[in-house]
Amino acid sequence: MASFNERAATLPCLGTPACGMSYDLLINAIVAGLLLGGFYVAVTIGLSISFGILDIVNIAHPAFIILGAYVVYIVNSQFGLDPILVAVVMLPVFYALGAGVYQVYFLSFERRGQAALRGLAFFFGLLFVNEVALILVFGVDYRYVTAPYIGPSLRLGPIDFPLRMLIPFLTAMVMFAAIQLFLSRTFIGRAIKAVSQDQLALRLMGADPTRIKRIAFALSIATASIAGALLIIIQPIEPSIGREFIGRAFAICVLGGMGSLPGTIVAGLLLGVVESLTATFHGPSWSPAISFGFLLITLAVRPAGLMGR
Amino acid sequence: MGSSITIQGLHAGYGSVRVLEDISMTIGAGEIVALLGTNGNGKSTLMKCVMGMLQPKAGSIIAEIDGERHDLVGRSTEEIVDLGIALVPEGRRLFPKLTVEENLMLGGFRAKARADIKRNYEFCCETFPRVAERRAQLAGSLSGGEQQMLALARALMTAPRILLVDEPSVGLAPILVARTIDAIKLLQERYQLTVLMSEQNFNQAIRIADRGYVIVHGKIAFEGRSAAELNNNDLIRKFYLGV
Repeated sequence: MASFNERAATLPCLGTPACGMSYDLLINAIVAGLLLGGFYVAVTIGLSISFGILDIVNIAHPAFIILGAYVVYIVNSQFGLDPILVAVVMLPVFYALGAGVYQVYFLSFERRGQAALRGLAFFFGLLFVNEVALILVFGVDYRYVTAPYIGPSLRLGPIDFPLRMLIPFLTAMVMFAAIQLFLSRTFIGRAIKAVSQDQLALRLMGADPTRIKRIAFALSIATASIAGALLIIIQPIEPSIGREFIGRAFAICVLGGMGSLPGTIVAGLLLGVVESLTATFHGPSWSPAISFGFLLITLAVRPAGLMGR
Repeated sequence: MGSSITIQGLHAGYGSVRVLEDISMTIGAGEIVALLGTNGNGKSTLMKCVMGMLQPKAGSIIAEIDGERHDLVGRSTEEIVDLGIALVPEGRRLFPKLTVEENLMLGGFRAKARADIKRNYEFCCETFPRVAERRAQLAGSLSGGEQQMLALARALMTAPRILLVDEPSVGLAPILVARTIDAIKLLQERYQLTVLMSEQNFNQAIRIADRGYVIVHGKIAFEGRSAAELNNNDLIRKFYLGV
């Protein structure tokens, strides 16, 4: 990234085609934003399923992502396996974990109709238990992984593609496409989209709503395995780092439109670009303010979110 | 081989409120049976009992599907749907934020329906051209009449042998009521369905019904063995038409 002086020098000619330097900076900021946004999509997609589609306020979703990142860290540091490969192998484990968490949530809260507030407390509890457990086992030091694509960059003319960001971006897009296809093309997928709208009507289609929700929630937690690998590829992690993503992930969910997967990808990429542009031209500390301001303005104009139905 | 339902000595209610008392009726193979009565007499409760949405306090509900007998009491709604019994519920209960096509595809969820999904979908589009035109639209954006057609089409997508329709005419303009009733008759003929239809609109229901039962205060007040018998009955005039 350009130093502060360079940045200051290029500011006045922003947007003027004659000024090549600012164009490069602008394009690089947008590309970096899109790559970051792709990672945000991976972080948010599970929440789009649990919070957006199922109405389960899984505030612990980032905690599962951190857990996924630590699993990747252990296997990578012990056996040197590729982080993303580890995450893919761990998918069934996270799926089963998600199914188990949903079963507890269902039996303790949802079945008794106390899902709203007590469910929130339950997931808050999971978040803290996970965080404290990780601190007890691993301490608060930053942990990272090694992989051949962490470090080198791909250069296309003036544009810089750090592989450390590009690989997570591509992985996130593949995961997004797979989930989108599953939800729109399969019977279970369509039932997942229907389950929070009318459970009785779904029963009349011959589907058990509890089973459908369990599958959907398990799927949402499975995505945390992949998102965890992407996180630890992008940056070193410590147990409480998940908190940084709670606000952002919920913001992307709402910005895109509750339950809309296409909305999630648009909002994720948009937020990435807005943050990157802000960081490049005004300094990183403005990023959260600008992105949440952006969220507020969008909701004022379109209360259902960008692509909400 | 046809499909039928036999209900015997059915008692049901909500908590201490008794809604149905000693209901016995049969819906024979290939028949359209009308369940008549004004609001609050237990028509929907009876439908709920058949579909496993409400556990009866006593009595039996036996369905015969293509020659196989099944006791419906104690089964879950999903299991009953899976046997080949579909309900078009009161108020239609579509998935408003899914498209028309997604609603129809969800109808084909059960294993048996998946095998025939293409044929059933084509038939639905052909029978309900208005619905087919709007396949990419959200179900919640359809008009009331279109929603009722979609609800019927969606139930048909489950490939039922027995079709239950609860109050199809509620909230529809008279011309749409007539069309909905015609559509039920068309589906019944095309698929040799056995149909139980609850309806407040006596004159419309009687157009297509083979037989009918009048329910008053949770009891069967009158059983009409033919449409003509229902038409010329003093009890009906007194309790129901109010003349």
